[in-house]
Order: sequence, then C-alpha cells, then structure tokens
Amino acid sequence: MNEFILVIATIVLAPIVGGLLFGIDRRITARLQGRFGPPILQPFYDVLKLWGKETIAVSKMQFVWIYCYMILMIASLLCLVLQADALVLVFLLGFAGVSLVLGGFSTKSPYSHFGANRELLQILAYEPVLLLLAIGLYAKNGTFMISAIISREEPMLFSLWPLFIALLYVLTIKMRKSPFDISTSHHAHQEIVKGITTEFSGPFLAIYEVAEWYEIVLVLGIIALFWANPLWVGLLIAFGAFLLELVIDNIAARMTAGWMVRLSWSVGLILGIANIVYLYIRRG
Amino acid sequence: MTDWMMAIAILLPVVSGILILVVRNYFARGVIVVLTAIALIANSLLFAAKGPLTYTPPPGFDWATLIAVLDYAILITYLIIGFKYRNWLVVIFSATQFLPLLYFEFVMKAHAHPEPAFFVDHLAIVMTLIISIIGSLICIYAIRYMRDHEEHLHLTKSRQSRFLFWLVIFLGAMNALIFSNNLYWMYFFWEVTTLCCFMLISHDKTKIAIENAARALWMNATGGTAFILAIIYLYSTQGGSAGLSIQNILSGHVHGAAMLLPVALLCYTGCTKAAQMPFQSWLLGAMVAPTPVSALLHSSTMVKAGVYMVLRFAPAYAGTYLSSAIAIVGAFTFFGASALAISQTTGKRVLAYSTIANLGLIIACAGINTPLSIAAAILLIIFHAISKGLLFMCAGAIEHQIWSREIEDMEGLAAKAPLITLITAVGMLSMFMPPFGMLLGKWVALEAAYKVPLAAIFFVLASTLTIVFWTKWLGRLLEVVPKLGWPLEKLSPSYSVPLWTMFIAVFVVGFGIGPIYHSFISSATGNVISGVNAIVASNWSDIVLASTGLKGGATVLGSFPVWTLYIILGIALLLPMLFFGLRPTQLRQVYLCGEQSGGVDTDEWLAEADVKTRFILGGYYFQGTVGEKAMNPWVNTVAILLLAVMIGCGVIIR
Repeated sequence: MNEFILVIATIVLAPIVGGLLFGIDRRITARLQGRFGPPILQPFYDVLKLWGKETIAVSKMQFVWIYCYMILMIASLLCLVLQADALVLVFLLGFAGVSLVLGGFSTKSPYSHFGANRELLQILAYEPVLLLLAIGLYAKNGTFMISAIISREEPMLFSLWPLFIALLYVLTIKMRKSPFDISTSHHAHQEIVKGITTEFSGPFLAIYEVAEWYEIVLVLGIIALFWANPLWVGLLIAFGAFLLELVIDNIAARMTAGWMVRLSWSVGLILGIANIVYLYIRRG
Repeated sequence: MTDWMMAIAILLPVVSGILILVVRNYFARGVIVVLTAIALIANSLLFAAKGPLTYTPPPGFDWATLIAVLDYAILITYLIIGFKYRNWLVVIFSATQFLPLLYFEFVMKAHAHPEPAFFVDHLAIVMTLIISIIGSLICIYAIRYMRDHEEHLHLTKSRQSRFLFWLVIFLGAMNALIFSNNLYWMYFFWEVTTLCCFMLISHDKTKIAIENAARALWMNATGGTAFILAIIYLYSTQGGSAGLSIQNILSGHVHGAAMLLPVALLCYTGCTKAAQMPFQSWLLGAMVAPTPVSALLHSSTMVKAGVYMVLRFAPAYAGTYLSSAIAIVGAFTFFGASALAISQTTGKRVLAYSTIANLGLIIACAGINTPLSIAAAILLIIFHAISKGLLFMCAGAIEHQIWSREIEDMEGLAAKAPLITLITAVGMLSMFMPPFGMLLGKWVALEAAYKVPLAAIFFVLASTLTIVFWTKWLGRLLEVVPKLGWPLEKLSPSYSVPLWTMFIAVFVVGFGIGPIYHSFISSATGNVISGVNAIVASNWSDIVLASTGLKGGATVLGSFPVWTLYIILGIALLLPMLFFGLRPTQLRQVYLCGEQSGGVDTDEWLAEADVKTRFILGGYYFQGTVGEKAMNPWVNTVAILLLAVMIGCGVIIR
C-alpha cells in the first residue's frame, strides 16, 4: 500500500518539480543573458495552452511513440523511486529515448529526421555511461538494486567520482543544453528548426514537455544517489549540478553530434571503465 | 514409445525429404512438408511432456557402420566439391578431416560406441522444441517462397524439390546432433549440417552463391578438423570409448589434466559454426541464399548447434582460464558485430550481424559460467530463435513486395505494406525493447557479467550499439508522407500462417517467461551446470535462485524483483489502450519552410525556379567509422588473437 501511494505521489509530484526547475532555468538563463525572463510558472502556462489545442499531426503513427516516450520515462522514474534494479532503470530510460527517436522518424520531414538521427547519436553517447554506472553500483554493492545504495552509510561519491563526472555530461545531454543541444534546442536554430520536435504540435508537444519534466527529475535523482545518506546532501548536490549546467549552457557553444559521441566514447568511457576496473581490482 | 519418438525426430525428416525429392507436384509436395511439420511439432511437444530420457538404438541393425560409411561419403563429397570448383581451401580442410578419420578408424582401430548413444536432457528438449517448431514453420514458409522465387527468376526447370529436401533433412540432423551422447556420432551429424548448409547456400548456382557456400564449407571444415582431433585425443587419453561419452566428459568421470585441450578444441568448433569472429564472413555470405535458408540457419539450426556445443561443455571448463577466455571471445564478437551492423545498408546483412552479435553474447554467457549466466544463455537461445526466425521471414516477405533487400528501398514501407511492417516492427522491437524476451536475456546476462569485467564492458558497449542499428532501420520503415488510408496487403497462407504464429509467439513467450522459466529453463540450466545425467538434476532451480542472492518475494530469474516486471508488463498493457486515446484528428503537411507544392499526400516541394521536386531523405550509415573496410582488419586481428588465447588456455591447466 505504501508503495502504491509512493507511485501515485511520484506520478503527480515529479512533473510539478520538473516544471518548476524548468521555470527556474528560464529565469536564471534570462538573468545571465541580461534579460528579465518569464515567470517561474511559465512552463505550466505553456503546457496548458498546448493541451487545449487541436490534435493535428503529420503522421498516424507519431502519437503512439510520444506516448511511449512519456510512459517509459515515468516507468524509469518509478524504478528509481521504488529502489528497483538500476539496470532496468537504464534500459527503460534508453527505450524512452528510442521511442522519441521513432516518433521523429515516423514522418517524412527533413528537420524531424535531422533531429531523430542526432537524438539517436545522443543515446549512443549517454547509454554506455549509464550502463557503466549501473555496473559501478554492482561493483560497489554486489547488487544492482538501488535499495542497497540507499541503505549504505558511506556516500558513493567517494568511490565512484569518475562516474559522477561522466554523469554530469549525461545531464547536459539529457537537459538538451549547450554544448549538447544537438537534436533539438531550447532556442530555434536555423539548420534544424526545432529538430526532433519540429513536427510535434498541440497536445502531443505538451506530452513531450511533460516527459521532459519527468526526465529532469529522474536524472537529478540519479545524481542524488551519489550521496544517499543523508539524502538532503544528495539533493543539494543534484541542485548544484543543475545550476552548473545552466552556467555551462550560457558559456559554451553548441557542438556537433560527432564531437559529442567521440568525447563520450573516449573521456566518458575511460572514466567509467577505469572506475570499474579499480573497484574490481580492489575487491580482488 | 521412445523408439518411435527418436525415429520421428531423426529419421522422419529423412524419409519425408526423399518423398519430397520424388514428388514433383507443388501441392502434393506442400502437403508432405506440412504433415512432416505437424509430426515434428507434435513429437517435440511429446519430448517436452515426457521429460529427460536416454536411448540406444536396439541391436539388429548396424547403425555404427552405416554412420561410419556415411561419414566417408560426406567427406568425399567435400573433396569432390573442392576439386569441382577448384577451391583449394575446401580440399585442404576436407583432407585434414579425412586423414585423421582414416587414422582413427584403421590405425587406431577405434571402436567408439559409448552407451547410451543418445541422451535427451532438458537442454536438449529446449533445443528440439526450437528446432522442430520454428524450423518446421520456416519449412512451411519456404513452400510458397520458393515458388515466388523461381517465378521471379524465370526458371524453366523447377528446383524446389531439391531445396525442400535439404531444408527438411537439416531438421533431422539437428535433432540428432543435440540428442547425441556419443561424440563420434555427434561429429557425423555435425558434418551433415555443414553439408546441408553448403547445399542450401549454393542453391541458386550463381557464381557468388557457390563462392560463398564454399567459404561456409571450408570455415566449418576447420571446425570439423578440430572436432575430429578432439575425438582422437579423447579416445586415446581417456580410456577409449568411454572417453567419447559426453555424459562422462561432463560429469568429470574422465576429468583430468589433459581434458581441457579437447574441450578447447570443441569450443573452437562451436565458434566456427556459430560464426564468431573471425569466421563471421561465412554467415554473411550465406545471405545470398533464398531467405528461408537464412531464416533456418539463423534461428533454429546451424549456428544454434555452435552455441549448443559451447554451452553443453560449460561444466567441463568451469572455473578455468579457458572459461574466461570464451567469455571474452564471445563478448568481443558481440561488440564487433553490433558496431559493424550500424554500417550495413542491406537489411539481411543487418540481421546477419545481429545474429552473430547475439551468438557472441550467448557464448559469452556460457563462458561466464554461473547459474545465472547459463540461464541467460538459454533464454537468449529461445528468444533469439523466435525473433530472428520471424525477422528473416519478414525480410523475405518484404523482398517479395518490393524486390529489394536494401534498407533505403524500404523507406516508407509502412504505407505500402502495413501488415508486414507491423510484424517486422514487432520483430525488431522484440530484439531490444521491453517487455520482450531478448532484453530480458540481456538483462540477466549483464547481471551475471561482472564476474568477467572485460566481458561486462563489451556487453555495455554492444547493447548500446544494438539500440542504434535497430532504431535506425525501423525509422526508415516508418517514414511516411501524411496520407490518409493505407490499404492492407494480401499475404499467401504459406506466408501468413508462419508469420502470425511467430508474431503471437513473440508475445506469448515474452509474457509467459515466468512459467516457461519454471518448466524448462531452470531445469535446463541445472542440466548444463551439473553436467550429470539429466534425470538427477531437477532441483536445480532452487540452487540457481539461492546462488544469486535474491530477496524474499523475488521469484522469477534470481534477483529479479517481481514488481519490476509488473511495471514493464503494465507498460505493455497500457500501450495498446493508448490507441483509443488522443488520436490525431487532422493530418497536415510537414514543415518545409513554406515551400510545399501540394497537399498532405505529396512529398514534393518547390525548388529553384519553382520546379516541383521530390525531396529525398536518407539514413546514416557511418561507413567511415564502423564500415567493414574500416573495422574488419583490426576486428579480425583481435578476434584471431583471442581465439589463439582461448585455445592456449586449453593447454594451461588450472
């Protein structure tokens, strides 16, 4: 019964937290750029407006995938909240990404395809880091269960800091911030228009936005795991990471997808692999 | 009863094959194939119901001599093939089998008849279910496929009988192979499958078909050579005939310092047949054959014999360096083949690389050699057989719709052939998406992989690459212009029955994994690990569960908490309901910067000087990074080194 309440609470509260974070993001970014910025609640107004629009689409299949995106994202978040298997969490998150990509592919639109192909490269960039993180958890705890992390006294940050650094750029990719706002962007860029979300409109775009809210909560939640006892330290670290991303976004230029994959598969994987090998050797 | 069951499993395909060869009428031939299929399926279910058994053919007929004679006949056929097509590699590697065999029979005067001749444990039952059910469905599919195929080629003289003959015989040989306890007999059936494979690949008799078939032949003949050397070694060091009983090898009766080398050789043999790197080129070459061949080779026969071999001998190399080496060999293939799959522009080659990758994963699981990883290997064998069988049949059906195998030509297939696209999409998703089985297998594999960290890292990289190449291809199929109304295409029953059966099977087996695990996989895992006589090991599921340190409340597959599965199941159930939710009410054109030339059903835009131009979208293939030219040299080098290390580990005793 407790778990049931937790599930409902997560489904209801996570988008509120996520939406607020997005509001804060817009406000801070605006201040950094010398603008005043919208009200904190602006993301909610946007989504409500989109929700009231007509259901117009460019393909009959598109909407199925965008639903999948949101549902898999929620499922993935539930895995975190219910302290389930970290591998399952990563798989579900990956497939949420795949659903979005397929949504982008499911119409003959040049800009949507640009975005979808690049989103796929983003998955290629972050998925191995997340899977390595899961293996790192196993190396540390002897199980993939997130519950084992929660019950640990010593924070994971001390032994898994290389993976933590790798996770920080996964956060950048996931938040679609510079230098990784590659498949779509918070600002309209000429060559991709709005990238993968170009062809989503009305309620379908609203669903996409809500899924993004869930996603930010999920990724920050994973970061918080690095200091799970007491959890408020972890949450502070996560919020710090969030603010760091905003700064990086405003000082970094947008890079290419190829550069992102190369960076991730060199620096990110080396950090992750070195971390795991070290833990393996130390455990004997 | 047992007599009949064994006869139907092994000899019936041979009899039906000969009948098919004689009967020249399309419908009569079809009826024979369908009846054989039904008999085989029923028989395999009977095996499943009856449980493990051992069997030795009753005295009265000299099977041993027959097999010996046929052994020579097959090797002489190889030699003839080699000389006929002037392929010296075939000649060399047939000779390297022929001479040791002569030595074994006439110099050593070997008398290789360990009893029982056959033993059917749970693993063999799982295998025979796959071979008989999926293999038979593919044979049914082939009835119509081959007719279309020949019509397209405008052949004057039909060669369908010959094709179906080899196809059906293949099933019998596979059944016999997995039932064998006598290693010497297993060798014979092993060679029969190699021969069937050659005949089927070379079926179209084009230059490239014969070349590729010959490549398959010599590569598998190197495996056969290792096989016969292992037999001679075992026979001479492990006390003659008894040393050739698989049960004895596994139960440690003949275990000794010298055991590891023959086991390493047998694993090498398994790797050749399972097309592990650097032998992947034979399976890729096999793509020139008509699609039912690919479906059969990839799902239920041939390559599955390779992984069966490695899996079967898992207890014989448990806890050795050899075991870790096998894990790394398989994991490397998983990684290399997944990367190469991204660069492929031909649908069937993507499927082939995906098969090679998954076989690598299965072999790696055998090498990791814990109860959990062995369970993963068996899960993967089952799910892969279903999904890949389905996907190849889809590939064939697509080919007969658009007469092309190129992924770029499949662009927008969802509008041209919605039914096949639906089935194909489910097939593809079942290879890597929850809640389908393959993902479950990969999940279990990853849970078990930490024991060999290098393998675990390859798993991580490879499963990411897997997502990329499947999504990329699926994306091409889905790319449609926003047109209303897609007419459904018509499918012949010979296509639709196997396709829809497998389609349903993907779901049934995916969702029914709990019961299936309890009734088959746990005991099969137990059989593999204990390696002892099948009948003893029935309580192994408990040990599997206990050894993975699960908490209370977890039931399925070791450490899997039940409700995690519920979440996934819930998603699966929710998805179809969404179709009735917020559907789009209107379709509009896509965004083309205001330069559209017409309504929703066109993909033209106004180019320079307002000329109507169709715009073209293409997929990414990254040939420069992961193309065969860029990857093959170093991938093959690493793979050869790893294989050498693997056999080297056979010499190191621990």
